Amino acid sequence: MPIAVNTMDTHEDNNYFDENPDSTRVYSPCRLRCPVHVDVPGYVTAIAEGRFTDALEIILDRNPLPAVCGRICLRPCEDGCRRCNLDDPLAIAALKRSAADFGAYPIERPDAIRREKVAVVGSGPAGLTVAYDLAKFGFKVTLFEDKPKLGGMLRYGIPNYRLPDSALDKDIDYILSLGIEVKTDVRVGTDITLDELREQYNAVVITAGLQASRALPIPGADFGQVLAALPFLEAAASREPIAIGKRVVVVGGGNVAMDVARTARRLGATDVTLVCLESPEEMPASEHEVEEAQLEGITVNCSWGPREVVGNVGVVGLKVARCLSVFDADKRFAPTFDEREIKQFAADTVIFATGQGADVGDIGVELTPRGGIKADPDTLHTSIEDVYAAGDVVSGPTKVIDAIAAGHRASASVIRDLAGDASLLDDLNEEATTLGEVPELMQTKLEPRRRVQMERLEFYDAVRSFDEIEVGYTEYEAAREAQRCLGCTTGARLSREKCASCLTCIRVCPHQAPHMRMGGFLYFDPEACIACGACASQCPAQAITLEGHSEEEMSRRVEIALADAGPETILSFACAGTTELPYVRGDVRTLTVSCLLRASERLVLETLESGAKRVIFAGCAESTCRYPYARQLVHTRADKIRAALTELGMQDRFEVVGEVEEEDTVHLR
Amino acid sequence: MIVVRQKPLKEIVKAVAPYRRILLVGCNTCAAVSLAGGELEVDTLVQTLRLASSQEGTGSVFEGAVLQRQCEPEFIEKLEIDDCDALLSLGCGAGVALLADNVDIPVIPALDTMFIGSAKGLASWRAECSACGSCVLGETAGICPITRCAKGILNGPCGGVNDGMCELGDRECAWVLIHDRLAKLHREDEFETTHEPKDYSVKTKNPEWDAHARGGDR
Amino acid sequence: MSFRDVVESDEFIISSEVGPPKGIDVAEMLETAEQLRDRVHALNVTDNQAAVMRLSTLAACVHLKQHGFEPILQMTCRDRNRLALQSDLLGAASFGIDNVLSLTGDHVVVGDHPQAKAVFDVESVQLLEIIAELNAGKDMVGNELHGTPSFFPGAVVTPDANPLEPQLAKFDKKVRAGAKYFQTQAVYDPDAFKRFMEHARKHDVKVLAGIVVLRSAKMARFMNKHIPGVSVPKNVIDELQAASDGTQTGIEIAARFIRDVKDSCDGVHIMAVGAEHLVPAVLDAAGIGSVTQ
Repeated sequence: MPIAVNTMDTHEDNNYFDENPDSTRVYSPCRLRCPVHVDVPGYVTAIAEGRFTDALEIILDRNPLPAVCGRICLRPCEDGCRRCNLDDPLAIAALKRSAADFGAYPIERPDAIRREKVAVVGSGPAGLTVAYDLAKFGFKVTLFEDKPKLGGMLRYGIPNYRLPDSALDKDIDYILSLGIEVKTDVRVGTDITLDELREQYNAVVITAGLQASRALPIPGADFGQVLAALPFLEAAASREPIAIGKRVVVVGGGNVAMDVARTARRLGATDVTLVCLESPEEMPASEHEVEEAQLEGITVNCSWGPREVVGNVGVVGLKVARCLSVFDADKRFAPTFDEREIKQFAADTVIFATGQGADVGDIGVELTPRGGIKADPDTLHTSIEDVYAAGDVVSGPTKVIDAIAAGHRASASVIRDLAGDASLLDDLNEEATTLGEVPELMQTKLEPRRRVQMERLEFYDAVRSFDEIEVGYTEYEAAREAQRCLGCTTGARLSREKCASCLTCIRVCPHQAPHMRMGGFLYFDPEACIACGACASQCPAQAITLEGHSEEEMSRRVEIALADAGPETILSFACAGTTELPYVRGDVRTLTVSCLLRASERLVLETLESGAKRVIFAGCAESTCRYPYARQLVHTRADKIRAALTELGMQDRFEVVGEVEEEDTVHLR
Repeated sequence: MIVVRQKPLKEIVKAVAPYRRILLVGCNTCAAVSLAGGELEVDTLVQTLRLASSQEGTGSVFEGAVLQRQCEPEFIEKLEIDDCDALLSLGCGAGVALLADNVDIPVIPALDTMFIGSAKGLASWRAECSACGSCVLGETAGICPITRCAKGILNGPCGGVNDGMCELGDRECAWVLIHDRLAKLHREDEFETTHEPKDYSVKTKNPEWDAHARGGDR
Repeated sequence: MSFRDVVESDEFIISSEVGPPKGIDVAEMLETAEQLRDRVHALNVTDNQAAVMRLSTLAACVHLKQHGFEPILQMTCRDRNRLALQSDLLGAASFGIDNVLSLTGDHVVVGDHPQAKAVFDVESVQLLEIIAELNAGKDMVGNELHGTPSFFPGAVVTPDANPLEPQLAKFDKKVRAGAKYFQTQAVYDPDAFKRFMEHARKHDVKVLAGIVVLRSAKMARFMNKHIPGVSVPKNVIDELQAASDGTQTGIEIAARFIRDVKDSCDGVHIMAVGAEHLVPAVLDAAGIGSVTQ
């Protein structure tokens, strides 16, 4: 048996792209961690080239609330970013916001017109998602909401300084543009019964969330100046007058407690103290929320358990006992106290942010012991036929993005039941794997680049109003941040039939992503590939493709760029990484690409044939290059183009222009 | 591998000028590996010729196709020529020849076939073999005196060697390399062997080769 | 005395060379030869030297012989295959021209017909073997000859080659193949020459030290740059640079070299490269008088 001598290494087989490519999904780690699996590399790549509308469309494919999530999502994706152990994870959420800020929301039309009608009860993130999915599918959807406006916790729970109404309304308007009927100020269970709904609608989906604030049963909890978190926040959001004093004590350690404390500051409280059972490490609130609260002058006191609200006519204080531990050995909530250590925090107002509960007792479906709706975890059916439930009302408190994911599941289930189409449900149930860490070889080659910092209001300005604290990236900042993305899983894929085994890809790639396997076949290691496109640009058999990029796509972009071209029109292929492109006189149309290798020789010649007087390669410079070795290939290609055009007597129709000094402005399309 | 390179563009443009509808045919074996005749180069040359044609106003039409190998009739059978009046082949000489054997329209070469060579790395090759039909590489430590010696002599070096370089200045002296490698392999004394004049008739007498021919070989 | 007689004797051998014209007018060539009559034992006739096409060496040798000179037929392998080589050798011998110098030959690309097909069917070692076989009365494939020649074969060697070892191995091959005398490439370093001679003395062959008469520092530098195996030392270049009369200094340098190596070799081969009229002066300066022919 002859020894196969054409292996260059003994790389193990694994389930990546070229083995059964359709059966096992591989998601980038960010995408896998996202509960709705937004195509993160897809939209980040688009932003890297300044294509915000493309990015927005990619996000909307999975997440109908980009302006919301771009601001307040707890971003589990970022912990998975493979740049974590190089420098900083990509600012995935902030980039989502940029797409929503700068991209144009599409005009949506339902995919079909169907006669079935569905009622959605509750217009928080889960409900909005269900309404959107089902309306897009073609059902007639009516969205019931017991408050005056849509949004649920998004509007009435999360303060404007984190999620302004304008951003929320942008997403809601987009969702409603599908033709969803809205009935606000209607409480299902009271104003209309479930049975009535079931008569009028083919299905009912309950996404009522957790509207009840749990109060602590301690003495003094019934004093007038003792408030509950949710009504407090709702009143603030509705701009209703709220009577709070100057010294406010907030009980609770979660994000709601932070929202409450910081809202209290903005409503005039000068001395806001937060008290919670948990130690600083145990606090459920996100670290940066706690930091910001403290910056705004809120004192955080950990490991205290409330015992009594002390007061007479009005509240004077909150008595607390030292909390020794919150969770027991089985991680259950079982706080223990040292009643000998007692303290009293002075206050004229006490606000409890100690937990939420469901308020759906009047609807008539079977509930769980905790008061939420009992629903099958796969189908989301409740105890009543044709009635579904999803979101926090079923699961208890989760993140907004989890509620959106639950909404998708509910919609998939409804679609399967009413239309017989199980594809969406199957899709949700499909497993996916992901990539490992960035290999050591690459770590040394990738230059560390810290995250682009986002501008925000200074804390002394921030506390004066409910204006949004984070300003958001500019287009330039967003593009620069997006250019840090390694493009995980969007890298090179090989068509074995076309491969000529020329080994050019192996020679061109500096990260050893292409490998030789037994039999002379090539295999691309997705963990080493950063989707630079060098191999694809050089492959003589055009056997390598990168996700989201093709010659046809480039030709299409050129065609669009050359619309109404005149006799002197110049098309400039510009590197997205360069800050300032040199000034070129005339009618210049700029096509921004993440690397000039995307412009093939064929494309340049085609561009000249289809009406451009001249083609320019702009901004391919060492200082801003994401892929330094790519420059060499770009310049070799430029030489080839120049040589060919010279032989045809057209040498003045192509030029490479360099970079000028950095200024503040940027050119991005 | 057979190493090929594209002819000067002017030459190609001139050669296709008389025709109206030209099909460019690439080859996914040696020509692709030589970065001269694969699908990428076919697409690029099609576009280049279209640009040239639009500038001249000739109105010629160019299309591209790629065969796995142009030196195999079964692959050529798959080619759809329709109403093309000429083929422009991006294959080696053997490819051009076999295409010409199998079609009734002119076949124009877009490439020059350089040599049988080995890869030096990215996009560069060195001539290693002249297909003489009677290999002596075993005696010359793997360095072909016919190919790598500019004069193709069998007892070298000649008087033109200059600091180990051939007098032509474009390569190392093959015979110095042979000497050094034989020495490295502790076979220095073999360098003293006088090699007899080469039997060039082997090449002349073998215009075809049938591996299954019975009753003798060469 | 024939060249063969001189070489086989103990006399110090002097040879020089003439180049045939690019045309049919041999008058100038004969005039040049005339200047060297009785000063040299034999005259090499170059064979399309530097791959520049000229009147055939065979015809030139015949002209020289008819005028009473002793020619050495330089035969390169660049322009003729084994049939033509044997054919021309037999032709030469039929005119009584027996002295042959076997050379591989400069490559066509350096000459004035760079697009020609270079032959190199055989090279200098194999040519010497062919000559040996003709001398034995057979052609190289074993057919009997109708009239056997008696060639006196010689070859060339580069004493200062870099690298030296392969050159010495080839020298040995040429000796084994029948070369009786060697004319070396121009040497200017007596020590390098003597080192080479240590190796050459292992064989029973005669070695003529090659000398090119330099006429200027520029010429010396040109030779260093373009002629393989020739390295004019710095002190010689400086001497030429400082000279008021380059030609005269060149003559002195050449003569000095002849005196330096006289005792370590068997003769000299003086190449004047178009200035053959200087050769007698060089010989005079070296204290070498007329030779009997």
